[in-house]
Amino acid sequence: MASSASALIPCGQFKTDYRKDTTIFPTPASRSFAIAGVLLLCLVPLKFGNFELLSLYQLNLLIQIGYYGIAALGLNILVGFTGQISLGHAAFFGFGAFASAWLNNRWGIPVFWAIPLAGLMTTFVGMLFGIPAARIKGLYLAIATFAAQFILEDFFARANWFTGGSNGTLAQPFSLFGLEVSGDRHFFYVVLTYVVLLYVLAANLLRSRDGRAFVAVRDHYLSAEIMGINLTRYRVMSFGVSSFYAGVGGALFGHYLSFVSTESFTILLSIQFLGMVIIGGLGSVMGSMLGTMFMVLLPESIQWLSQSAGEVFPAMTEGLAFIKEGAIGLAIVLFLIFEPEGLAHRWKLIKASWKLSPFSY
Amino acid sequence: MKTPVLVIAAAALTLGAGPAAAADPIVIGHLADYTGPTSDVGKPYGQGVADALAYINKSGGIAGRQLKFETVDYSYNAPRAIATYKKWTGTDKIVAAQGWGTADTEALVAFVANDQVPFYSASYSGHLTDPSGKGTHGSKAAPYNFFYGPSYTDGCRALVQWAAADAKKKGVAQPKFVHMGDNHPYPNAPKAACAEYAKESGFEVMQPIQYSLRPGDFKAQCLSLKDSGAQYAFLANTGGSTISLLKSCETVGVATQFMGNVWAMDENALKAAGDAANGTLFVVGAADWKSEAPGMKTVREISKMSDPSGSEYRAVHYMRGICSVYFMRDAMAAAAKAGEISGPNIKKAMENMKDHVPAELTGVCIPSTWTSEDHRGTTKVFIYQALSKGDKQSIAKIGEADIPRKPEWLGW
Repeated sequence: MASSASALIPCGQFKTDYRKDTTIFPTPASRSFAIAGVLLLCLVPLKFGNFELLSLYQLNLLIQIGYYGIAALGLNILVGFTGQISLGHAAFFGFGAFASAWLNNRWGIPVFWAIPLAGLMTTFVGMLFGIPAARIKGLYLAIATFAAQFILEDFFARANWFTGGSNGTLAQPFSLFGLEVSGDRHFFYVVLTYVVLLYVLAANLLRSRDGRAFVAVRDHYLSAEIMGINLTRYRVMSFGVSSFYAGVGGALFGHYLSFVSTESFTILLSIQFLGMVIIGGLGSVMGSMLGTMFMVLLPESIQWLSQSAGEVFPAMTEGLAFIKEGAIGLAIVLFLIFEPEGLAHRWKLIKASWKLSPFSY
Repeated sequence: MKTPVLVIAAAALTLGAGPAAAADPIVIGHLADYTGPTSDVGKPYGQGVADALAYINKSGGIAGRQLKFETVDYSYNAPRAIATYKKWTGTDKIVAAQGWGTADTEALVAFVANDQVPFYSASYSGHLTDPSGKGTHGSKAAPYNFFYGPSYTDGCRALVQWAAADAKKKGVAQPKFVHMGDNHPYPNAPKAACAEYAKESGFEVMQPIQYSLRPGDFKAQCLSLKDSGAQYAFLANTGGSTISLLKSCETVGVATQFMGNVWAMDENALKAAGDAANGTLFVVGAADWKSEAPGMKTVREISKMSDPSGSEYRAVHYMRGICSVYFMRDAMAAAAKAGEISGPNIKKAMENMKDHVPAELTGVCIPSTWTSEDHRGTTKVFIYQALSKGDKQSIAKIGEADIPRKPEWLGW
């Protein structure tokens, strides 16, 4: 799912028209790899008697990567492709979670439908809070979206009818045709389906007229306007699309945890989302996923590392919480210095070095 | 960020002493807040729970089986508590759990009932006292929730009783009462029920004043309190924010009598607040560290589990943590006698306790009674007063109240 066609195309791959140049996958081989990857992921939760491919803990991490990855992709469409900024992404993520629980609890809409509907409701809210983007840019827009974070967070804590107020609300498990999908092993497939669907959708969107308009708005808004692109329309639309992704990700999160409460959606999560897209690579669909993996797995691997080291140096285990938070901060700083184009770029370089080895031309 | 603190108790019991089943450890979960907004009181309580569990293991476990427990610091983040609970029931197969906050405990009510896991919370929310959902104030059934100590509402009622007597003594015609706390399930728990009781007791109930669970500058709240003219204010937060509030109110010059709930004040908070806390009343639900009760001998032994020198002073919450574990232990021992240590058996054993006190803790824990219709373990409330003069601080018991077990107050 490379966003821009790589310059490194194997011999014999000719592109004879523009349509071929904008396919989702640059080569048939890369498409086969992606399909094989998804099929392989389908096997991951299987359990044969006592033998399991992945433990529940590892599966839980994959599910986390899934729902956060969807929301991160939404933010990447807004920040990486349209060149806007949002410090309120966690609030939209939360809105999706509450909306889905509310649709299901209050109106009896099956969870299967409640999730996409919650996405649509979040789209609407996102567009509402995206309106200031029509007028303001950069830091000022950041602060305007920051307000969205606070307004929604306070709304979550007070709107008893919608969110259960500060008590939070229960979310029912996912069900399909009356069959309840319970347990991580089953829920994994729900998340996987959404991830594949929404990632393909995003890759497709960016090949379309609207997607190219997003990029034009990012690259030079004046030129874009002169070319006839309605800036306001596309900026607000970008907020809408981004919020849709956040809403669906949040709804999946809510039904996975079975409990939604305002504490999960603080400004810290908004900043983590920004971290994900920056580390993964701004303006890269695949990068959103890589960045999410990094942000979810980093604290876990550090915990594992310091626990193993703790057997030798007990102080390591005691300082665990601090080391974890510190390491995330450090990772972001190091990334900005050494890998400003993100993991997606690094991944391309790695692929290139395989292909070119041993001759670097 | 799932399990920052891991304290896995010794489970070294592999050698074939006795039948295999008897050697299997009893798995329980322990949720604590060591780093969140309630960590100031979460630390002594959590330490009490952890020490008591370790001490039970040291003294031979329960019915010959050791306890295997994991302490998880969830930073008072309810969603994280739910995720931890799901891991416990999914992977570790816990039999029972020692919990902490109101938000997470109330969110878990349906889960623990469904999984039949007795859940001993440090939340004494009145909403958790109704096992069958028959309460007249719309409470939901909480059949597997237990806690040791008077409910927040009963604690508040006891303070209101004291305030009513005090107002009469001082000749105040219509005293004013105000609830102060964060907009969070824990401070909110006794809000409506206690305001109702204050009204019945002849108080004018003022608009509640909100102040954050996280310590901060609360002068604005203190000025509102001063403007309201309330003579009695109930503090529903925990120690940390209470310290800030008392200090802010001292600066502003508030003359209100503060009355803290069971988590609002302790020796540590008193020391930090100094003279600002002088005269503050608070609820206590067990003996304090200086008590001479016979059970304190056991408590001091338990304390040595984390403080071998035995020199550390333990705040009032520590004793309640121990009591909570020992009531669970007694229920587990009774369940073992009845056949098996399982959730339903523990629940049944809890509901058969009548004026029960764990044998080693006489005089420390209040005799408690649970039935299948009523999970208000005790309705006895100790009222303490914080005293401070310069760098000399002390706490003194000034009264006791026995709140009637009115059926219409169940689950409220």
